[in-house]
Amino acid sequence: MSKIEDVKVLVETGKSKKVAAAVQEALDAGDKAQDILDAMIASMGVVGDKFSSGEIFVPEMLIAAKAMSKGVEILKPVMAGDGSSSLGTCIMGTVAGDLHDIGKNLVVMMLESAGFDMVDLGVDVPAERFVEAVKENNNVVLVACSGLLTTTMPALKEAVQTIKAAYPDMKVIVGGAPVTQEYANEIGADGYAPDAGSSASKAKELIGA
Amino acid sequence: MLTIRENLLETMKGGNPDRFVKQYEFIDLIMEVPLGVEFNYGQTWKDHWGITWQWPEGQLGMFPVHHDGLAVIQDITEWKKTVVKPAIETSDEAWAPALAHANAVDRKEKFATVFYAPGIFEMTHHLMGMENALMALYEEPEAMQELIDYLTEYELDFAAVMVDKLHPEAILHHDDWGSQISSFVSPDMFEEFFLPAYKKIYKFYKDNGVELIIHHSDSYAANLVPYMIEAGIDIWQGVMNTNNIPELVEKYGDKITFMGGLHSGTVDYPGWEKEVVKKQVEETCKANGRKYFIPCQTSGLPIENFEGVIAYIDECIDEMSKELF
Repeated sequence: MSKIEDVKVLVETGKSKKVAAAVQEALDAGDKAQDILDAMIASMGVVGDKFSSGEIFVPEMLIAAKAMSKGVEILKPVMAGDGSSSLGTCIMGTVAGDLHDIGKNLVVMMLESAGFDMVDLGVDVPAERFVEAVKENNNVVLVACSGLLTTTMPALKEAVQTIKAAYPDMKVIVGGAPVTQEYANEIGADGYAPDAGSSASKAKELIGA
Repeated sequence: MLTIRENLLETMKGGNPDRFVKQYEFIDLIMEVPLGVEFNYGQTWKDHWGITWQWPEGQLGMFPVHHDGLAVIQDITEWKKTVVKPAIETSDEAWAPALAHANAVDRKEKFATVFYAPGIFEMTHHLMGMENALMALYEEPEAMQELIDYLTEYELDFAAVMVDKLHPEAILHHDDWGSQISSFVSPDMFEEFFLPAYKKIYKFYKDNGVELIIHHSDSYAANLVPYMIEAGIDIWQGVMNTNNIPELVEKYGDKITFMGGLHSGTVDYPGWEKEVVKKQVEETCKANGRKYFIPCQTSGLPIENFEGVIAYIDECIDEMSKELF
């Protein structure tokens, strides 16, 4: 098995304590950092698909994301200054009045693993804060809003519409238990992901990556 | 006409109920139990385990918070340094309101039911945050097992006091084991970490006169039903439609009863509409049948967020009983 294949398996199976060494070995063997990163991103794609299909569960996705981040730590110095690996910045938060963070955190991990630079605004984020974050950060290509309560659906709508009013061309993706594709369409969001596993592919699709 | 209690038992054993069980009608819930659980709308507070809670104004529930160093457990391998079992109230004075309620229950019609929350799984993530709790099951399984054993001991200690004081006939026990679309952990992981704890807890209640174990998890958890049965759960309350309830009734109905089918978020919402509620009650009653199923909101308590919903759901269930029985 090639060193890159080792890395892929270790990420997919969430072996965070072994990934760093495997990435270093792949680099030492002459593999390019970008190729190693692409392999890890592909692994997380597999992890996301398995989560969406019910083959794996939240803990497996969490440890895979952690393993990936350990691998990325090794690659970062090697790839410093090389912006080609980033898909751009994504601002993410759970909307005002809603303190749910699990789903949001999973999506942050999956999008980060897919190559986005993530800015996590946390929970209970007022609509205006999303707009400020777009202003404050460079190369923002996507805003992701999460809402887990039926009672915070109006806040989700307000967030999407406030972002769109300030940045009409900004892509906005939404998700959360009560959210549906129909509701996403109704409030003017560009995209909807039913679960964290599928959020990365939907986000990439929205920005044309 | 069967009593409420008889009708429930007929429904549960697949006998001859003469109508649908109407939501929580068969329990008289003793919320006065001195659990130490607080519900402080619009506030931030620490509970008796040291867990910080927030209940934002205008929202329907409270949340444990873990940011900025607030989590009780910062490092699972050192949980013993920060997790301390709260004292359990044992005085007659503290239990007097609960006892008065228990004594007033019409036990011919209803089950005197105690309430317990949060359960073992929820406690693990309340103490350290969901991500840390779930990852620790992989990364520090021994420490997690020790923590779970400790939490189980506390539950058993509390249960011993509660059965001694109140002699309950049923328990409504909360522990959410999944999201809307999946269980939080795999069945294998559930079997390894949580099933043994629940087998102990529910066996204790059963051995001490509790006839009905009602477990609340408003989630997907179809993949855990065999373990629910093994743990001794009689009624899974909160079953969502994402579980394919008819299939569960068909496969497991003779061993466990399913209570739910009406998603609280889609019936109990601001400005709720009668036609929407009526349609959902009709659909769930027709789809899930007359045996081993109790139409009910998935909410874990017989309370409504928006006035009139519970009474109207009951009215709709009565209509379905007339039509289908």
